[in-house]
Amino acid sequence: MTHPSVLEKQTTEPEQNTDIGLLDTRETDFYKTDGGFTGLRYKGKTFPRVSFRRALPIGKPDSYISVADDENKEIGIIRDIGDLSHTQRDVVREDLAKRYFCPSVQSVKSVKDKMGYVYMELILTGAGTTYEKSCAINDVNRNIRMIDGSRLLIFDVDGNRYIIENIQALDKKSMSRLEPYMF
Amino acid sequence: MAPAFQAANVTVSGLVYAIHTDMTPEGNHADAYVAVDSDTLYILYGEEQVVRMQGARRIVSAFAAHKLVTHPLNALGELKCERLLTTARLWGEADGEALVLLVFSIGCLPFAERLIKVINNLRQGIDPLREVFTDEHVFCLKCGMRFPEPERKVCPRCLDSKSITRRLMTFFANYRKQVFSILAVMFLSTAVSILAPYISSKLFFDEVLTPGGGYYGMVGAFVALIILARGVTTGMNVVYQYVLAKTVPWIIYDLKLKIFEAMQRLSVNFYASKRTGSLMNRVTRDATNIYWFFVDGLPFVIVNIFTFTGIITIMCLMNTELAVICLIIIPISLVLFRVLWSVFRRFHHKNWVYGSQLNSMVSDSVNGQRVIKAFAREEEESNRFSGISRKQTDMDIGVENTAFTAFPLIYLFMFTGQVVITALGGRMVLEDRITIGTLMTFIAFLNMLYGPLEFMSWVSNWWARCVDSAQRVFEIIDAKPDVQEPDDPITPEHLRGDIQLSGVWFEYEPAVPVLKGLDLQVKAGTLLGIVGKTGAGKSTLANLIARLYDVTEGEIRIDGVPIKRLPLALLRANIGIVSQEIYLFIGTIADNIRYARPGASIEEVIRAAKAASAHDFIMRLPDAYETRVGAGGQDLSGGEKQRLSIARAILQNPRILILDEATAAMDTQTEAEIQASLSRLQKGRTTLSIAHRLSTLRDADSLAVIHEGRVLEAGTHAELIALKGEYHKLYGMQTEALNVISESDA
Repeated sequence: MTHPSVLEKQTTEPEQNTDIGLLDTRETDFYKTDGGFTGLRYKGKTFPRVSFRRALPIGKPDSYISVADDENKEIGIIRDIGDLSHTQRDVVREDLAKRYFCPSVQSVKSVKDKMGYVYMELILTGAGTTYEKSCAINDVNRNIRMIDGSRLLIFDVDGNRYIIENIQALDKKSMSRLEPYMF
Repeated sequence: MAPAFQAANVTVSGLVYAIHTDMTPEGNHADAYVAVDSDTLYILYGEEQVVRMQGARRIVSAFAAHKLVTHPLNALGELKCERLLTTARLWGEADGEALVLLVFSIGCLPFAERLIKVINNLRQGIDPLREVFTDEHVFCLKCGMRFPEPERKVCPRCLDSKSITRRLMTFFANYRKQVFSILAVMFLSTAVSILAPYISSKLFFDEVLTPGGGYYGMVGAFVALIILARGVTTGMNVVYQYVLAKTVPWIIYDLKLKIFEAMQRLSVNFYASKRTGSLMNRVTRDATNIYWFFVDGLPFVIVNIFTFTGIITIMCLMNTELAVICLIIIPISLVLFRVLWSVFRRFHHKNWVYGSQLNSMVSDSVNGQRVIKAFAREEEESNRFSGISRKQTDMDIGVENTAFTAFPLIYLFMFTGQVVITALGGRMVLEDRITIGTLMTFIAFLNMLYGPLEFMSWVSNWWARCVDSAQRVFEIIDAKPDVQEPDDPITPEHLRGDIQLSGVWFEYEPAVPVLKGLDLQVKAGTLLGIVGKTGAGKSTLANLIARLYDVTEGEIRIDGVPIKRLPLALLRANIGIVSQEIYLFIGTIADNIRYARPGASIEEVIRAAKAASAHDFIMRLPDAYETRVGAGGQDLSGGEKQRLSIARAILQNPRILILDEATAAMDTQTEAEIQASLSRLQKGRTTLSIAHRLSTLRDADSLAVIHEGRVLEAGTHAELIALKGEYHKLYGMQTEALNVISESDA
């Protein structure tokens, strides 16, 4: 579904006069290049290497996705991934999943607090595979973050992110290990 | 990795470097072994069978290979690492098309960068491992875990607290006499305090009150003895606390001084990577942490250890049976106390977090009052406050409830011990196996053990905090500046000021180069104007020439001598930087101008101020050259501060002058005035003038346009205009803007 009306609407409200540059998803053609990048053909122009960035990566990961060319100049914004066709949706989703790679935590094997750093051994799943990883977390007050009532994000010292999609669904042992660090 | 490659029919003997990454090109998790030999890049995807984790090291028993991908090196163009968000990719060009070679999680980025370095070395035909392992110490060598703070080369997991303690003790070395006298007095005082119950119970009941006792009836003398014992303990306590309070502050003074001196030695990079707050913490809070542990904690530890061992020894000597019962009670109480404290620590930690959230919320609200009022958000702010405050209140209630229920329970347990002792002891008294005095002494001793027990259950946390603080302090003291003095310096008699930059690469953050092979030449005594967009790397040039940072690759020479071979003091004395960022220290205006040359006479200061067009405004200030500026002093405008910084540079009299957007924040009138003083300053010196406004560069002998870390165009104004390139475009835009302004003014 596209919303050309949003682009065309001109009212007296000042913020509505500013075009946020929504892409007309009827004319976008995202494709995978042989080299493994994502390209875009749009209104007669071809961009061989585009990148995607979420405007609301935590709250609305599928909406307002900025598309930029290889010089990081914004081409436009996808209002919602749902507006794209199925095949294009997959292309965009795969690219996004790579940039925002965030495996989900199945269980917490151990948590050790050592001089202000927290070391965790986690069982993770990401894209169908389950694996174990140990990570270090600095400044737990900032780097272990409850997002809404149920989701918990963990940022480790390397810059990796891990998510617990539903904290209530976590097993008891894992929960009791994490509990002291949740605020 | 070698067996896995061997199994995949790769000739292992030719491999020069291999890394482990963790994703497929599609972005799924997979183990990937990546290796390179002189002409091929091998990527072996598969799955490691991890037997167990040892720290961060994975002990792998087998590797199930799924797919081998090979890329001939000569078919790949320049290789690059691109950082995404939590992942990164390594890509190059093959047959004119960009090709993703590897995708990996962000933690593998340093390894991938090393791989590129190895491949580049191979292509140049030099030792493939040259300059590859320079960042080895980003990872703990013992457990393989990345250091939690990259600039802090410390693995908390493997931290050896004993060596820190030993090192901390070296600070006491200069105060041996005091330390020994403190220990001796402490020992005596504890001995007397342990003997006190023995005198007031055992001797008093058995020898004074019991007929036939050695001192039967001497009540008055014994009471006097008890008072004396108490008096002696108190007196000795006062003495050791006095000596301690006089000694420890000096030790901390030594420590703080060492930290501050070390901080002065460190490179700018160190300050850029550490928040100022955390640095201030190290000088003050960490040193204070150590101070309090030594003034308050350590004496208690020593006294309690003396008391504890003393009491147990006397108990065992007096009656083994009763002593054994006490020895059963003690460890159980200790465990109970520890459990309780760990619960408390969690509560306190949460409470502390809510407390700091509340503090930042209040300061947010106080500082943002104008905005809050302007948007009429008072009620929402109150609600926000109430939300956090409520959480803290809940936590407070939790802490208090735990304290009110748990502590009495532990004391009840210990009381049970006392009851058992009284019951058994009472029976033993009736059976004449012990005297009343012995029983009373036992009960008194048992009561004396409560304090040390409770203290010992939590002092280890205090000690851990002290060791952590000490560790942080030692990190600063031990930190090596990135910019080092040359080992074999060349000291020319005087510098002419020829500058040459060749193939300069520089990055503040890994994989994000700011300068990409920049070449530039400035002849002595000429003025080179540098123009370019924001972020093009202009200011970085100034930092590199003054060696505030060192180049990643390439070389900078002054008069043909690499700047890394010039003594730092000589180099910096010959380079003056006037930038947009002006810092005035707390002190008078004269002191601030003199900062460049503290020995300068007041006449020289006035001369410099006049040359910088600063004299007139200084004289208008009530205290003229003695006006205090800096934090809490006289407020000066941006233009005035800038003129002081120019005066500073004039007094410094450097051969090379770098003007980094010196007038960018000024209005046109002030800019014109300052430009005049700058022109005087530039005479006879090599000057690099970095500017946004091209009008500032009209006197330049030559100009260089920097674009994306490289020199795009270079030449005189006329040559660049004729070239009709980037400079022409910029010039056109700025003159057009001026025309628009003058038209609208007209």
